Amino acid sequence: MNDRRRVNGPPGGTRPPVYASLLQSGTGADTRAQRQRQPTDLRKIFLKTGLIPSASGSSYLEFEPSASLAAARSNPKSLIPPSSALKLACTVHGPKPLPRSAPFSPNLVLTTHVKYAPFAARKRKGHVRDSSERDLGVHLETALRGAIIAERWPKSGLDITVTILEAEDDRWWGDVPDSHDASWGMMNVLAGCISAASAAIADAHIDCLDLVSGGVAALVSDDSTDSPSALPKLMLDTDPAEHRSIVSACVVAYMPARDEITELWLKGDSSKVSTADGDQRSGHEALIDGAVDAARGAHTVLAEAVRESLQKTLGQS
Amino acid sequence: MSNKCQCVDKPPNGLIVLALIIRGEKSEEALKRRNGTANTMATSVPSLAIPGQRLGSANTYAAGPGTHIQQTNIFASIAGPVILDPAQPNTQSKATLRVTRILSTAAQSSPAAAFAKSKPRYNTLPAVDSIVLARVTRVQKRQAAVSILVVLDETSAPNADLTKAASDNDNIASILTSAANPENHSSTDELRFQAIIRKEDVRAVEKDRVVMEDMFRVGDIVRGCVLSLGDQTSYYLTTARNDLGVVMARSEAGNMMFPVSWKEMRDPVTGAGEQRKVARPY
Repeated sequence: MNDRRRVNGPPGGTRPPVYASLLQSGTGADTRAQRQRQPTDLRKIFLKTGLIPSASGSSYLEFEPSASLAAARSNPKSLIPPSSALKLACTVHGPKPLPRSAPFSPNLVLTTHVKYAPFAARKRKGHVRDSSERDLGVHLETALRGAIIAERWPKSGLDITVTILEAEDDRWWGDVPDSHDASWGMMNVLAGCISAASAAIADAHIDCLDLVSGGVAALVSDDSTDSPSALPKLMLDTDPAEHRSIVSACVVAYMPARDEITELWLKGDSSKVSTADGDQRSGHEALIDGAVDAARGAHTVLAEAVRESLQKTLGQS
Repeated sequence: MSNKCQCVDKPPNGLIVLALIIRGEKSEEALKRRNGTANTMATSVPSLAIPGQRLGSANTYAAGPGTHIQQTNIFASIAGPVILDPAQPNTQSKATLRVTRILSTAAQSSPAAAFAKSKPRYNTLPAVDSIVLARVTRVQKRQAAVSILVVLDETSAPNADLTKAASDNDNIASILTSAANPENHSSTDELRFQAIIRKEDVRAVEKDRVVMEDMFRVGDIVRGCVLSLGDQTSYYLTTARNDLGVVMARSEAGNMMFPVSWKEMRDPVTGAGEQRKVARPY
């Protein structure tokens, strides 16, 4: 849809263009990001609540930049960073009265908006929400609806707005798009949105069953060049820019206190996986278990952030 | 088989950095282990709770506000200090566990200092029987439309001075003075809960003789009690009690009036009296 209300920037990329031949030459070859972590190693998370005073609850979440990005920053070889790290802010407004036109609701009416900043991705996003942003909003709403105790807030609405300041890449930026490509970065973004929104809801003191956290796992086949028959491996908390080919990925919203999943999004072909000896799990079972493990890791950060902001508020007053 | 959680770095600026190494752990085992540790700690109640934290067994305690029950266990549903209300003596009732939203521990000692800082405001929803302060926005023949400014906390004693009330909300005195000031009447009514006082709910006696224009005027601050959640747009309030009614009002000359009887307020400057359904001053 055309946005005629604003002065929009030029469509296209947000980073300067680079000749493809430069990437193939010696200078560009080692700029490709490689995963330095163990397959079950998660990225560090920065999470802080209560940063936006006008909102009743807010949070800011940041993933640790990958090792290659840190190296590229200290010793730049190219104008373009090799990978990006997720940064997003979440605000919760409410509970507030429903609009006059809305019908009576005995429960809390949840509204979620997910919006990429125009500069968030490598391709510029418009000011109007596009289909992928609406899709993320629906996924986020499903994830949170299962965690919120809605009947304690009759006749009121809760607006949750997530602004993505920096999004994950869908693949390494130097690669040309191929058949394996899907919007893998969106799944990491959703996991971040879930954790951040959960912290913001806790900051707004809205009743919920548990702090719901998001986690991502993926089946990746990195060395497809030498042995095409090699089975894809399970990796937790994948950064798509660090892998040559992601076969399938899964994001869950998980409540550890109840061992419940409120949202499950699985994409790709999860039929084949290389598991340890004696592991009888099928591909998608391993994938979901991995995503739950990642979510459990994010939950420790989430709980610590909520506890910290609580102690800070208690100390102030 | 264990979650190894290493706190790598925790600088004072609130940066939380946690590295987590998970070695393929089955969720059933995790649940068993967690329940095992929880059972051993069943006697002690944590002082601070975060949502999803187990507080105690439902066999020992009763679940109060801010908590929920799952499988005979009480879990916190909001973040805040845990308060244990002891059971009533000579009854079979259990001690009540609740998690409070009120974070103003210093409010009792020095209310002025507590209000000097801008405290976070947690919206309390109007519920049936809760006392609210509302501003009259429209007076019609059969009803008065009001918008709810503050839901008064039930924990604050009714005899306490309004400015000392340890409410979740901001300084009530400042809300009231700003709301009673006609210059502050902006479009924020859209963000407040709307309510209606019907003609029959204004007072308890002589209901058929009520003239709405002699009870409320636009801009008055009314203390009311919520009758019901009402329809899709508005709550229903009543003022049919001695302690309910107009608490603050301006005269036609624009001066703040003082109450002289249950149905009259007077302008201190001009001395003219105006009719209102006046709340009994504390």
